[in-house]
Amino acid sequence: MKNFTNSILLPEELPEIETKTFNPLDKKYLKITLIRMSVFFLLLIGAFISFLFLSDENVPKAVITTIFSVLAFFIIYTVVITIVAFPRKGYLVRENDISFQRGLVTYKLTTVPFNRIQHVEVNQGVLAKLFMLSSLKLYTAGGTASDLSIQGLPEDIAKNLKAFLSEKISEHE
Amino acid sequence: MNKMDLSAPTRQSIKGLVFIFLQTVRQAVRMFWALIALLVIQKNIFEHKAILPIAGMVIFLLFIAHSVLYYLNFYFYVKDGEFILKKGYLRKEVLTIPLERIQSVNTKQNLIQQFLDVVALEIDTAGTVGKELKIHALEKSFANALHDLLSNNVVNSEAEENIETEITSITEKLILKLEPLNLLKIGISQNHLRTGLIILAFGYQIFNQVQEIFKDKAVEYSGEFVNYMSNSSLALIVFLALFFLLVSVLISLLRTLIKYFEFRLMRKENAYRIEAGIINKRNVVLPHTKIQELNWETGPIKKQFGIYTLVFKQAVSGQNKKVQLVDAPGCLTEHLELLKNDLFGEDKLSESARIYTNPYYFRRLWIFMGWLPVFLATPFLYPEWLFWLAACLWLLATSGYSFLILRKSYFNINNEQIRISSGAISHNWKQMELFKIQSVEFKQTFFQKRRSLASLKLMNASGSLRIPYINDKLAKQIYNYLLYHTEISEKSWM
Repeated sequence: MKNFTNSILLPEELPEIETKTFNPLDKKYLKITLIRMSVFFLLLIGAFISFLFLSDENVPKAVITTIFSVLAFFIIYTVVITIVAFPRKGYLVRENDISFQRGLVTYKLTTVPFNRIQHVEVNQGVLAKLFMLSSLKLYTAGGTASDLSIQGLPEDIAKNLKAFLSEKISEHE
Repeated sequence: MNKMDLSAPTRQSIKGLVFIFLQTVRQAVRMFWALIALLVIQKNIFEHKAILPIAGMVIFLLFIAHSVLYYLNFYFYVKDGEFILKKGYLRKEVLTIPLERIQSVNTKQNLIQQFLDVVALEIDTAGTVGKELKIHALEKSFANALHDLLSNNVVNSEAEENIETEITSITEKLILKLEPLNLLKIGISQNHLRTGLIILAFGYQIFNQVQEIFKDKAVEYSGEFVNYMSNSSLALIVFLALFFLLVSVLISLLRTLIKYFEFRLMRKENAYRIEAGIINKRNVVLPHTKIQELNWETGPIKKQFGIYTLVFKQAVSGQNKKVQLVDAPGCLTEHLELLKNDLFGEDKLSESARIYTNPYYFRRLWIFMGWLPVFLATPFLYPEWLFWLAACLWLLATSGYSFLILRKSYFNINNEQIRISSGAISHNWKQMELFKIQSVEFKQTFFQKRRSLASLKLMNASGSLRIPYINDKLAKQIYNYLLYHTEISEKSWM
């Protein structure tokens, strides 16, 4: 490891990605996420209740309490993590690339250089439309693994970013 | 090549008519085989006996009409430097591809095509045009001429002004040829466990479909079978397992023979060409630029024979998001070195230090593979003493397995290239040029952070490479370097 760092880094100081300089997502996006989640949880709870009603009387109490506590733990954990981790989500546009970071328990940082983007898309779902938010999707070659999608951007910022990136792409072609 | 006039719209060979017809029948049979089987077995399903033959005749005529219309409306030509293919009669389709965007031209021959003595020609494109360009039936001579014409176009556009390369590009050199003895070795050294699982899955699928048709009888028989099995002795089960293994080995051998019969790897100026197959003959051209990553692998049995399986990973083209891999089994060290030298130049990676994955990775692997399943199973099985024995054995086995993974998990990197080693029982290597990177990902879990560790994922146009559990400062440095390197690179990744 010692001789590695000297042998690889020819340029003296490589530009670092400063995680603190990232632009946060629009706060309204947290609302959307929570609404989506509550719909999902309502369905889950509904399924649980209907299971209680439809199942025979002889389901042991222990099983029910186990399922219930696991469910409750899962819901509380997800909601808390989503809210706490939300400020961590953000994007950063540099001169030559665009990055997205997310996650508190599992932190992930993805960067796509401009000269590898194939095309850019702006999408808007029904909920997002109500809150006037859009998502930006960057396509690279090589399938879904290397695509990057940034959700929860205000409409105008998403549009501007798209225009900016499209120009960058055409520069490289 | 002179007699080829591509400016006029050309149809496929007239034999294509037969091929299209047979292909349609085959597709129909594949879709409705269960229904057909039902009709054959239960003869009196309709009141009138005449209905079946009449329906058969009508369907037959419809198939013929479809084949003729499809044949008549399928043609291709070259105009203004673009290859144009028109097809379809109800829904017309025009596929256009500029000649310089043609990445490679491959020919294939399945059993029907071999019988008719025609070949299928596939044109691979770069970028997002990506609709499948495939001509199903061409006369061999014509296909070869077209193949040469189009693929020379590929090579020429890469070699550009140099005319002399045109002559050398046509001369090919044989690198690797697989004789029956080589095929035997390759067959034996296959992963039989995987073959076994494929057979099981396949058998289960067939069993399910059969069960759908003959509901009552199947239940009866399978009940009988289960009964029989549970009454039989251990010796019979051992015998069955051995028999199963033998069948797996035989099927592996057969598969190898069918897939790699008369395998030949040829080297051209800026490309490789692979020919192989018995039922499906394929002829694939691999331009160097399209190869994103070279993978090679050896296992315990392969090591005894001194052979490697080599995989060329190509860029995914357009909407056809299936990763295209072309493999060359049975490579000796000399072949491997030659190909590596071709694609990556002189091996400088070995000079740079080997960086191993942090031993903490072992703990994570063992917890996930060993302890977690045992914990999950305990509430259900804890009264059984046999479970505790099995759990101990399982923990022991997974610790060994995790240790093997850790020992093979390392990589070498320099300014231009990276080589990543992985594997547990077999040993895999992946090598790529750094400028072919599409995007990078840095990942750090809470547990990794406490130990200043992180994982990296490098994405290229054919998939991704993972570097698990290395020092996080080092990971960040590599991350920054990779971005820097990709962003200043002027070379085209494809």
